Order: sequence, then structure tokens, then C-alpha cells
Amino acid sequence: MSIDSRNIIKPFVKKKGGLMPALQALQDYLGFISKDNIAELAIAFNYSQAEVIDVITFYDDFRLAPIGKNIIKVCQAEACQSQNCKQLLSDLTSYFGLEMDETSDDLNITLKEVFCLGNCAIGPSVMINNTVIGEATTEKILSHLKNDATQKL
Amino acid sequence: MNDDIKIFIPNETSANSVGANSLYQTINKLINDEKVEIIRNGSWGAFWLEPFIEIEKDGIRKGASYKNINLSHLSTIEEFFLDFEKRTPFDINEIDFIKKQNRIVFSRIGHEDPLNIEYYKNSKGYQSLLTALEIGPQETINRIKESGLTGRGGAAFPTGIKMQTVFDQDSSVKYLACNADEGDGGTFSDRLIMESDPFALIEGMTIAAYAVGASKGYIYLRSEYPLAKDFLIRAIDITLDNNYLGNNIQNSDFNFDIELRIGAGSYVCGEETAMMESIEGRRGLVRSKPPLPAINGLFGRPTLINNVVTLATIPALLLSEQSDFSQIGSNKSIGTMPFQLSGNVNHGGLIETRFDISLNEIVKDFGYGTKSGEPIHAIQIGGPLGIYLSSSMLDTSLTIESLQALKGSVGHGGIIVFDNSVDMAEQAKFAMEFCVKESCGKCTPCRIGSVRGVEIIERLQKNKTSKDDATLLHDLCETLEATSLCAMGGMTPNPIHSIIEFFPNELIEK
Repeated sequence: MSIDSRNIIKPFVKKKGGLMPALQALQDYLGFISKDNIAELAIAFNYSQAEVIDVITFYDDFRLAPIGKNIIKVCQAEACQSQNCKQLLSDLTSYFGLEMDETSDDLNITLKEVFCLGNCAIGPSVMINNTVIGEATTEKILSHLKNDATQKL
Repeated sequence: MNDDIKIFIPNETSANSVGANSLYQTINKLINDEKVEIIRNGSWGAFWLEPFIEIEKDGIRKGASYKNINLSHLSTIEEFFLDFEKRTPFDINEIDFIKKQNRIVFSRIGHEDPLNIEYYKNSKGYQSLLTALEIGPQETINRIKESGLTGRGGAAFPTGIKMQTVFDQDSSVKYLACNADEGDGGTFSDRLIMESDPFALIEGMTIAAYAVGASKGYIYLRSEYPLAKDFLIRAIDITLDNNYLGNNIQNSDFNFDIELRIGAGSYVCGEETAMMESIEGRRGLVRSKPPLPAINGLFGRPTLINNVVTLATIPALLLSEQSDFSQIGSNKSIGTMPFQLSGNVNHGGLIETRFDISLNEIVKDFGYGTKSGEPIHAIQIGGPLGIYLSSSMLDTSLTIESLQALKGSVGHGGIIVFDNSVDMAEQAKFAMEFCVKESCGKCTPCRIGSVRGVEIIERLQKNKTSKDDATLLHDLCETLEATSLCAMGGMTPNPIHSIIEFFPNELIEK
């Protein structure tokens, strides 16, 4: 583990139940939790490595390998179901040529499903990274990705 | 004469999801006059109008919907004002959707910048905390007991009794945990409080902590709510700076601080014991009860657990000896309930009203019918573990008692409308699929039974008349109900039962 990652987890070690926020901070920085991280976290928090893996694999948000720069989460909960979210999801899977939880080869896009973004009155809803898009359509999603890319240049 | 002009552009997830942020950026660039000020207010909860922009001038405030409107062609702020006038602006408090509500807990949302603590204080904020510090813990709990408030997270347990239990424990350390893991599909009332009136939650938590003797509080917030996270972080800082949190709050000997914890995408962590496991840094596996969290909760200490709306209601209960809140309703259904109307409906949003309102009033008077224009076929009440009612049941009252009689629950107050394109067998299957995905895995009937449930329903979709499969589904549901530790497995059968009973021949043909 690099000095960087050690510094990242340090503030959480003394916190009661600090493993989750440590994992979140680490993942924010590295994009995923590596094998080395697991060993180091186990020592720092006095967990077995199996226990650390236990926590990581229970939660949808944590990942053990890098995924896309843009995570597109398509809501599949009931309110969005009434607004044809299944169709939207299938349009997106065919547009990007990706299955659920799959990442494009260039590590640009990962497609995921999510259950409720709390934007239920104006669904279907999609979350791209931290941005929620209401009354989502494939066009809206593509234009958001395009604008985002232009802004970052 | 004051000729200042205020422009209100909401900063709230739903408003931003349909363009409020980009309109703000566009309009902000046009301003070159100090007399014009933009305020990022919260949302009024009338989401079909979003982005709803308001202008206040000469003490008159009116707004117009900027849905699907692009303003990038404008070059001066005067052009924006002209554009605004052309849209026949109106006072949002004059529309039926708002007028017909009884907003007590949500009385402040939409009015101002949610982080403006002066506004919060001027609109009754922090009066109740000062009252509590004056009357003491037991009297505070007494008033909450007398108010009739029950938990708004889903279980409707009397809040005052829970607080008394924590208060009565002899322990040097006690905790308060606010459940902000609002995971039910079709719900957003907690999010709206956190984004549009975060001080109300913080004040409610502080009063509750003072009453039960907790010096540390956690907010367990789902990771799907990044904007609520931003608001809470800033609101906690502002509250600390103003000595409504921290040490010796308002010169009393009461110390309290709040730590924000973020979830990681697990629905079952909204179950209180799974939430505690998660805060403690483990998998979100549910614990068996007893011991009750009020006796042996977080880190083995007595812990008061309430959801966001419940805690945000507490300040309203202490404003006067007999609160307005308690004058409403009867039996268990006391006070107001924030119903959240969504799905295939024209006017979706937050509806705070008495419980004793019919489904018909909600979906027709507030909701204005389906968005698709097709007839209503089904309405789900109370999240993924709630029941589906058919279009012939619109006179059902939404009280706790009335829904219990139908083997359902108000839950967290979500109401989702489906038109006649819905396939009820698919909805039944989804109930089981959701349980497959979100079960914590501790109880076998929930972990494996849900997988078998999906298979049985898939067979029924091919042959609705199979008596064997109907019996098997019935037995499986009975097992889930009887042998699951928590509501995830125990209530997953609820939507399925309701589909069998209220939608004859759509899943099972007799």
C-alpha cells in the first residue's frame, strides 16, 4: 500500500466503526479497493482479511476492480417502472453494447441498475456519477455525457 | 422604496434533475446589478412544475414553470424578466396542490435558502429546543407521548414510548441514530427535509438526544443522495457555529454532536438493526430482537433510532402545550403524514395532509390523473413491501388502521400510480426479485425462498391455472412471514397477496 492510501485511512482508524468510511475514502481516491488495500485495512482495523472482503462484497457501491469513469445508474424501482424504465434500460444496453454491471473496454462507461433515487415524481430517473437526470431519455443521457466531457477538456 | 429584486431558483435534486442548475448558471451570468439577487431556495415539492422559478418584487412573489425551457439565447437580465412575465406567473401558495395541504412539518420548504439559519429562526426554528432545555428531558418526552406521534419510517411505533425506554436505561453512554436510508421506491420525503429544511432535522435530533440523554448522534444517509449529503454537512457546520450543536448548547450543560455516515447501496440497511451493523463497520446483516435497540443498540449501548421525518416532526410538537399537529386525526393516525405521490401521474410531489384522506382525493384532486391519460389500473402504497390496490378501491382511506385492515401499511407514505399497461404478474415477480437482490442473507426463507418465489411466479406467468404452483406460492409466503427476522422477508409477501386478492385472474386464475 502506498503512503497515500495509508494517509487516507488513517483518520478513520480511531473512529468507532470506521471501516466503511475508510473504504469509501479509499475508493474515492483509487477508484476501487485493491488486494493490497485489503491486507492493510485488515491490519489497521484489527479485522481478518476475510472480514474486510465480507464488508466490501456485501455493499453494491464497493468494487474490487476499476470500473468506468462514468457510472450510469438506471432506476428500476416501482415509480420508474410505471414510466417505462425497463425500456430505457434496454435502449441503453443496446446503445452502449453493454450488459448490466458491465464496463466498456475503454473504461469510459459502466451501466448499473439502482433502486430508487428519490426522484420518483418525474421519472424515469438516471444517475450519472453524482448527477440525477429526471424524465430521462437516451438522448438526454448522451447529451449530458457530451456536455460533461466538453467541460472537462 | 425598496426596488430590490429576488430571483428564486431551487437547488434540490428533482428541480436540478430537470435543469434548475443550468438555468441558474444562465441567469446568474446575466446579472450586473446589485439590486438583483439570486436565492437558491428549496423545492416546494410540486415537482411537475420544476424547475419552478420565482421572482419577488415590491413584496410580491410569483413564480413560473421553466420546464423544458432553454434561456441560453438571452443576453440581458431585462430580457429574462420579460420572458418571465410572458409566462403568466402565479403565487404557488394559491394553487390547489399546495392550498389543500396541511403543511406543518414541511411548512418551511421552498420559501428560502435552506441554509439561511436566520430564516429558520424567524420561522419558529429553535424555539422548541429552547423549550425542551427549559422543561427538562422527562417533560419533553411526556409532550411527545401526548402528541400521539408515531414513527414515519414505516413501522408506526409510538415515538414517545421509544424515547421513554431509552431514557429509562441506566447507561453512561447513549446514542441517537437517524435513519436516512430512505430506500423505498416512490419515496422522497426524507430527502426533501434534508435538502430543503435540514435545520429541522438537526433541531429534532438535538431535542430527542437531550430528552433521552444521548451525547452523540449519527445520521445514516444513503449514498444515492449526494445533494442531501452536501446540505447536511454544511447545515451541521452552521449549527455548530451558532451553538445549537456542540458543547454547552445555548449555555446549557447539554453537549451533542452529529456524525454523518454514508451507506453503500444496500436497501436492507434501512432496517434498524442492519443499519446499526453497518454503522459499526460490518455487513448489513439484521440482528434478532430482543434485545431492542432502545436497550442494547449501537456499540452495545441504548440507542434511539428514528427516521428523518419523525425527528423533523419533533420541533413542531413543542411549539405550544397543545400542538396543532396533535389536533388532527384519531386513533393511531394522529397528525399529518407526508404522502409522496409518484409514478404515472400528472402532478407528482410531496403532499402533507391528514391520514384520513381517500386515495381518490390523492390521485385525482392532487395528482390530476395519469400522465399517460390511460385509466388507473393499480396503486402501490407504502414502498416495495406495500400492497397494490385496484382502481375499484379508490375510496380507501389512508389511515394506518384502514390499510392494516387490508393487510397493508402506510409505510413511509409512498403512493405509486400505474395505468392499464401494467402487468400485475410482473409486479408480483418484482417483489420476489427485489427480495433476491436486497435480502441480507441471514434468514433462509428470505435468502432462498425469494429465489424459489421468482421461479414459481415465472411458472404461473405461463400457466395461471396451476393449482400446485398457487398452493406452493401461498405456502412459501406463509413461511417467509413466519420465519424472517425482519420486514424484508416478512413483508415481501404483502404485494403478492394483494395482487392475488385484488387483481383476480392477473396472477392466479381460480
